[in-house]
Amino acid sequence: MSLTPLERAARRLIAALDAAAARVYGWAWNPFHQMGTVAVLMLLVLLATGLYLLLFYRLGAPAESVARIAADPWLGGWVRSLHRYATDLFVIAAALHALRLFAQARSWGPRSLAWVSGLFTLFIGLVCAWTGFVMAWDTFGARLAIEGARLLDILPVFSEPLGRIFSGDGAVPTAFFFVNLFIHIVVPLGLGAGLWLHVSRVERPVLLPPRGLAWAMVGALVVASVVLPASLGPAANPFALPATTPTDLLVAWWLPLSERVTPGVSWGVVGAASLLAVLVPWFTSRPRTGSWTPSTVDPRLCTGCNQCPQDCPWGAITMVARDDDRPTLVARVDPALCVSCGICAGSCAPMGVGPRGLTGRDQLFDIRSRILPAFTPAPAIVAVCCAQAPAAHVAALRARGAHVHAVPCVGNLHSSAIEMFVRSGAPGVIVYGCPPRDCVGREGPKWLRERMFNDREAELQPRVDRDRVAIATSAPGDLAGVLAAYEAFATRTVALARPAAEGDVEVDVECEPVPYEEAAP
Amino acid sequence: MSGHRAATRLAVSGAATAAALVLLARASAAPVPWHAGDVARLRLSWSARPERIEVCRTRSAEEIAKMPEHMRQRTECEGRFASYALRVTVDGQVAGEAEVRGAGLRHDRPIYLLREFPMPAGAHRVRVSFTRRETTDDDAAAFAPVAAAEADTGLYAGRADREAAEHARRARAAVPPRLGLDTTLTFAPRGVALVTFDAVARRLEVRTGPAASPGTP
Repeated sequence: MSLTPLERAARRLIAALDAAAARVYGWAWNPFHQMGTVAVLMLLVLLATGLYLLLFYRLGAPAESVARIAADPWLGGWVRSLHRYATDLFVIAAALHALRLFAQARSWGPRSLAWVSGLFTLFIGLVCAWTGFVMAWDTFGARLAIEGARLLDILPVFSEPLGRIFSGDGAVPTAFFFVNLFIHIVVPLGLGAGLWLHVSRVERPVLLPPRGLAWAMVGALVVASVVLPASLGPAANPFALPATTPTDLLVAWWLPLSERVTPGVSWGVVGAASLLAVLVPWFTSRPRTGSWTPSTVDPRLCTGCNQCPQDCPWGAITMVARDDDRPTLVARVDPALCVSCGICAGSCAPMGVGPRGLTGRDQLFDIRSRILPAFTPAPAIVAVCCAQAPAAHVAALRARGAHVHAVPCVGNLHSSAIEMFVRSGAPGVIVYGCPPRDCVGREGPKWLRERMFNDREAELQPRVDRDRVAIATSAPGDLAGVLAAYEAFATRTVALARPAAEGDVEVDVECEPVPYEEAAP
Repeated sequence: MSGHRAATRLAVSGAATAAALVLLARASAAPVPWHAGDVARLRLSWSARPERIEVCRTRSAEEIAKMPEHMRQRTECEGRFASYALRVTVDGQVAGEAEVRGAGLRHDRPIYLLREFPMPAGAHRVRVSFTRRETTDDDAAAFAPVAAAEADTGLYAGRADREAAEHARRARAAVPPRLGLDTTLTFAPRGVALVTFDAVARRLEVRTGPAASPGTP
């Protein structure tokens, strides 16, 4: 996969974060793999805590009511802190999620809608956070309100400059706090719409982290809320000039910068940055050739089994009527939705679908022509690695004598390729996939396991000894885990009888055609 | 994983989580500088309607007769809204000068004034003048009710008086042609003195503390 220099830099950063988290928590508990779902989890926490806080918020006395909530030692204090910390974590999670997708070249083509709607959701979240801080009406809230008024006052929208509201020339009207609260409550509806758009083009979207991780994160935030309550500055006073404000830099990191320049410059920077971010799909788009070729279907081979539409993580494949006289449906790929992950190729028993060069037949041809000759005189264990696997892992496996076979995604690996390795004399095949929630094809490791061990089409044939096949995970920072899995597998295969290499392996693939009458709705 | 390694990992992950949460809490409430030093501030903030400078004439009976009955105003006025010169001096030094006009393209909306002048804490002689820039023969608008005509009967009875009353109300609502403030103010460090226009007393006044309000408890 070709990456731009910026993508490579982002990938190095993400890999370093992943490696650090994997060493500390283990890859299965690495929260950085879950940032998209963590953002959604934080939205749920914000919704729950926000509804509680709303019960005690008073428009007529915003600062006092929030101070009263914060002073409540039983519930209000930590619920407010949890609301605040969940906001911070939402912003962090959404930003890291975007960075990961950018680093993995998942920001263009069919994913453009997800990219833009994700940015929209983050922007809406920041607006919501802004109004939330203003609700508290402490010095930080007033600072945000004053800066917001300064920025808005250069737009020809309001008849009276908003800035005067906070000058002390009269009371800050309750209407201001009402409008602010209204925005704070209504804007999350936009978050919901943005989230719906964000996942609208994926099949089986995963919205929440694994249950254990989700509870652990919420629990940790609750503990932090109790032990380290979120700050609340002194009540806003237009006749005092505070030296500092307790500023949430995760949400308002831009505030000290914006205050130093004119509103026009601030708007210009915001506009340019927003435009750049929205245009990332355009900047990072590639020609749909080479490894980015969309899948195609060979109608002569398609039996109409309806498996590839079920496995495609992007909903890019549908079954349509054939234009010949065969009594089945035929798969059709929508190139505008296909991300070239090749997972459909692994799902197709007759090997009639996939991106060019990645279909099952292409895989077998490649193995026959390029890899099997290297098996002489003694075949080695084959380690199939995802192209995303860290180079250090691949090198370490090679150093241990494994024959490394790279695939774009383990979900692309056809079961017949594994059969061919084993029947050609390889002692065993171990497939290293990415952590399940960090798969660029979204569902590669899941479908691989189903195809190898649970008879999902295109299943590994029963004639292949399952003791000679293993699945493991290659996560950045977990070289020890990769090597441990390899050593364990090697030990297991040593105990097995040496397989006899067949001379000219022909892999029979089996697939039951579905008659048109049964498949048609 | 052995029990010892599992316990070690648990301890390390617990410590890492605690450190991350402390960082989160710190970043969530970083003391970011806002107003540097002990500088105080003079703030001018008010909203007032600009005066309308008009030239009025009384329509003749023939002119009125040609008009639809509901449009028969006795007095026809043409004019524009005044502009004002703002001048602020502190301890005899000019701190700011500006021309101030009503908002809107035609400057017919109220004047919204918000100016701030940083200054060292302590006592300062502050002079603020807000003066109409246009000169007229008479500051009081010449507008008097004229004798009621025959048409001012029925539904339109008393119209001339109402016209005059409305004109007078508008004149009273406008900012006076000349406003001034000359006083010595003692600014506390990081304090703000607000100069505003009292629409009832029709003069500039100084406030140094918050009004009782929802937003300024």
